[in-house]
Amino acid sequence: MTSQTGSDEPAISCRNVWQVFGPNAKSKLAEALASSGGDSNAAAQKLRDQGLIPAVQDASFDVLPGELFVIMGLSGSGKSTIVRCISQLLQATGGEIRIEGENLVEASKARLIELRRRKLGMVFQHFGLFPHMTVTENVAFPLKMQGQNKTDRTKRALEVIELVGLKGREEAFPREMSGGQRQRVGIARSLAVNPDIWFLDEPFSALDPLIRRQLQDEFINIQATLKKSIVFITHDIAEALKIADRIAIMRDGKIVQIGTPTEIVLNPVDDYVREFSKDVAKGRHARVASVMRASAPADRAPDDPGLRQDMTLEAALASCISRYDPVPVWGEDGKMIGVVDPADLAAALQAEET
Amino acid sequence: MMVEDHSVAAPLRRLAGLSPASIAAMITLIVGALCVALEPTLPWLVKYPAAWSIPASDWIGSALTWFLGLIKPAMRIISAGLAYPMDWAHALFTFVPWPLTIGLVTALGWYIGGLSLAALGLGGLIFVLASGYWLESMSTLSLVAVSVPLALLTGGATGILANEFPKFKNAIQTVLDVMQTVPTFAYLTPLLFLFGFGPVVGLIASAIYAAPPMARNVILGLERVESDIKEAAIMSGGTRLQQLFLIEIPSAKTQIMVGVNQCLMAALSMVIIAAVIGGFKDIGWEVLLTMRKAQFGPSLMAGLVIVVFAMIIDRYSGKLATERSRYDGRVALAIGAVGLVAALAFWGKLSNPSSITLLDPVASWLDQSLTGFLKQNGGALDSIKNGAMFYALLPLRIGLDGAVLPFTWGFQWTPVMSAAFIAVAAAAGLVLALRGRVALGIILVIIAGVIETGVSDLPWPFLLVGAGALGWVSGGRKLATFAFVMLGLVLISGLWDRALLSLYMSGASVITCAVLGGAIGLLCAISPMAWRVVLPICDMLQTIPLFVFLIPVLMFFQIGEFSAFLAICLYAIVPMIRYTRHGLVTTPEELIEAAVSSGATEWQTMIEVRAPYAAPTILLGLNQTILYAFAMLVIAALIGTTGLGQSIYGALAGADVGLGITSGAAMAILALVADRLVQGFAEERRQALGL
Repeated sequence: MTSQTGSDEPAISCRNVWQVFGPNAKSKLAEALASSGGDSNAAAQKLRDQGLIPAVQDASFDVLPGELFVIMGLSGSGKSTIVRCISQLLQATGGEIRIEGENLVEASKARLIELRRRKLGMVFQHFGLFPHMTVTENVAFPLKMQGQNKTDRTKRALEVIELVGLKGREEAFPREMSGGQRQRVGIARSLAVNPDIWFLDEPFSALDPLIRRQLQDEFINIQATLKKSIVFITHDIAEALKIADRIAIMRDGKIVQIGTPTEIVLNPVDDYVREFSKDVAKGRHARVASVMRASAPADRAPDDPGLRQDMTLEAALASCISRYDPVPVWGEDGKMIGVVDPADLAAALQAEET
Repeated sequence: MMVEDHSVAAPLRRLAGLSPASIAAMITLIVGALCVALEPTLPWLVKYPAAWSIPASDWIGSALTWFLGLIKPAMRIISAGLAYPMDWAHALFTFVPWPLTIGLVTALGWYIGGLSLAALGLGGLIFVLASGYWLESMSTLSLVAVSVPLALLTGGATGILANEFPKFKNAIQTVLDVMQTVPTFAYLTPLLFLFGFGPVVGLIASAIYAAPPMARNVILGLERVESDIKEAAIMSGGTRLQQLFLIEIPSAKTQIMVGVNQCLMAALSMVIIAAVIGGFKDIGWEVLLTMRKAQFGPSLMAGLVIVVFAMIIDRYSGKLATERSRYDGRVALAIGAVGLVAALAFWGKLSNPSSITLLDPVASWLDQSLTGFLKQNGGALDSIKNGAMFYALLPLRIGLDGAVLPFTWGFQWTPVMSAAFIAVAAAAGLVLALRGRVALGIILVIIAGVIETGVSDLPWPFLLVGAGALGWVSGGRKLATFAFVMLGLVLISGLWDRALLSLYMSGASVITCAVLGGAIGLLCAISPMAWRVVLPICDMLQTIPLFVFLIPVLMFFQIGEFSAFLAICLYAIVPMIRYTRHGLVTTPEELIEAAVSSGATEWQTMIEVRAPYAAPTILLGLNQTILYAFAMLVIAALIGTTGLGQSIYGALAGADVGLGITSGAAMAILALVADRLVQGFAEERRQALGL
């Protein structure tokens, strides 16, 4: 959906991040890791046996600049905890968290405040709007923290409020607004300082299905123009597949699979992930590229259905359902880049039933 | 029941197949019976020998006197320092001409609450003016005006501190708990010693007394700020101070305003109570004076003035704690201006507010008609009083064996009757036990035993073990130890006899409040009509400063135990009514619908569904009622209770720091133990219901 531009350095980089709750978590974790020889599962079990709670266990992943990275999992899987580690709302018990190369774990308090004022934005599940402030004051608050004067910050706040479609409600108080509108305020506030890194913690989970879909669509549009580096938390697989560049699936504090939506749907690593994607209509998420085979280039036949590699399986199958031979797939430049066997298409679509 | 299974009694229980409650009751019964049976040979089993007490009052007294003596010079400086703002406030409040004061208060009322509050302020102050107590009231207000800011600052700072340093939070909350249970008079004795006689003591006492509710509400409010809001403040890049003052405190505003409201009411209440020290011509002193002279008309009038102030302060500040619409500031300015113009126009022509005697005829009419009423119905009132004393209070206090005399009941209680009484109770208990209600059966026998013996003659091992047993059932071993040890402290302090008397008085009132209040609460839950009548009465009773409760009971029943009992009941019944109704009406709709669709009648729904669901709430109401009863017990000492309240009051009169502190502590211990026990049961119920 987005092209990954910029330098090679990841926007966010997590290495072996642990979050353990309980007394003396830090030393207990070091002890457990040492005694289990670095085996994270054994270490986690050891911690559990001592009555501690390893909420995030040995998580490592990178988020590239401009990438929309979704972390998905059921409640209690540690997904909210990990985003709080990255944003430093919680201090990770172990591991390394880098934002644009800078290690946050070692950052000073003042540096963190500075980062939050300039670089980071966050949207919360229950909005977290300040009840005693109007919409404009809420949105302008991070700018106020930056030290901007009132005229400047109001001007910028009004811009963002317009961006999220709340023009006309600038002077309303949160209590006077619907859930969908409140979350628009939350989004506007997190965007006010024009952050490079954007955390969204289940931003649409508390909303009605219709409003949720509407906001998802608008969110995709906003991201298409802003190209932030995003960590997006959700428990809804459909939402994850709809918006994500890549998805990390968490279970019991562990990341069990990281991959593009197609990979998650077509090649689940275990039953847990398979269970998630069971109800998902695969044809709508997997692309032709995932079942394409290499082939010698050939000329275009008159009855060619014109498959492209970014078509969904569903669309591809619809256009070549009556064929038995491999069908050519064409690149954007009009050259043939491979073939797809209709039988493979059908097999991929049925994979979940077997 | 939630009791750890590794307790000593576990094997025993498994043997007998009894519930922990039954075992606890059984042990208590056995201890009690043994004590009574062995009394002839071992008298110390019933009456704790004075020789075994430690002179705690003396020790604490001399230690405190020494310590207080050390800090006395510093305190005297503070008191001298406080005298200035107090004098200024006093001069200001009494100097401002009354039309201006009335205008300003009315304007403020309009601004925060519109017409209704403005009318309350105007009407209330005109009544105060007409009563002739204007200057005394202003003296009282000037004390409140200085003590409240002090209390708000210290309370608010304490609350914020507890919030910022979670390590101290538990400690601070325990201190606040204790401060709330230590009776009001107990504060006064050491303060008197430190600051000497005079209004400064009242001022400081009221600031100390009023700070905890503020601290509590600040803690609660800050705790309840949604985590998303707190995190949003962090992620916006606020420093800790910015987060606290720009986001968290404003978000907690509603709860904090509740704290301000409670703080104001507590300060007013304490300022009035502090009048017993004397030395300041304020409205509390006026009540006390007229009460002592048995001038009930003026006394009632002064009491009403206090009530009026309490209502104005409560409704004004209460309004600030709710979401409110905004009222036009220009109207408020206009009202204030009218007051100012009136004050200027009649400058010098205003009569001295003390010489206004508009309501004096009312007061003397009240006095006369009251005297007339008492003359006519004195017999009836006396028989009510004697009936309650002879048939309920006395037996509870000294037992049937002591209370049933030819003079009271018309016959003499004999050992045969005792045996028969106990036998009947035992038989009833046995029937209950055979029907599977073992614990209930044993408790019935215990109650019969208590009535036979009387609370003031109960053997001390029985009470200690009983409290421990209750603690064990309601909260496990820790609570059992707490109850046992705390009561043990009272026992060895030499205040045991007085503590028993306090226990009897509060017990009698609490039982009465529980039964009556529960019934009224039930009625209000069933009939919204009844609630519409009861609610304003409850509001009223909770607004009135403790002191004022004494006036009406004194008018009708003179000084004595029954009057004290009534005053306590009047005050302590309110939470029982409120919580019972609240618990019963807040049962989730689904549960009621499920019951109705199963074919339950309204009454069955009440008994089977609403009551069990409301049980934890009702228990919390009972808990509040107990704390209220203890608070009032001390005030009621002014009009004739024996017990710890009397010691505290006596210590105040004799400036006996040791006795005052130990009696106050003993009282606080009784209240704390009762509080923890009932809370334990409420918690157990809540967990059983999965709430």
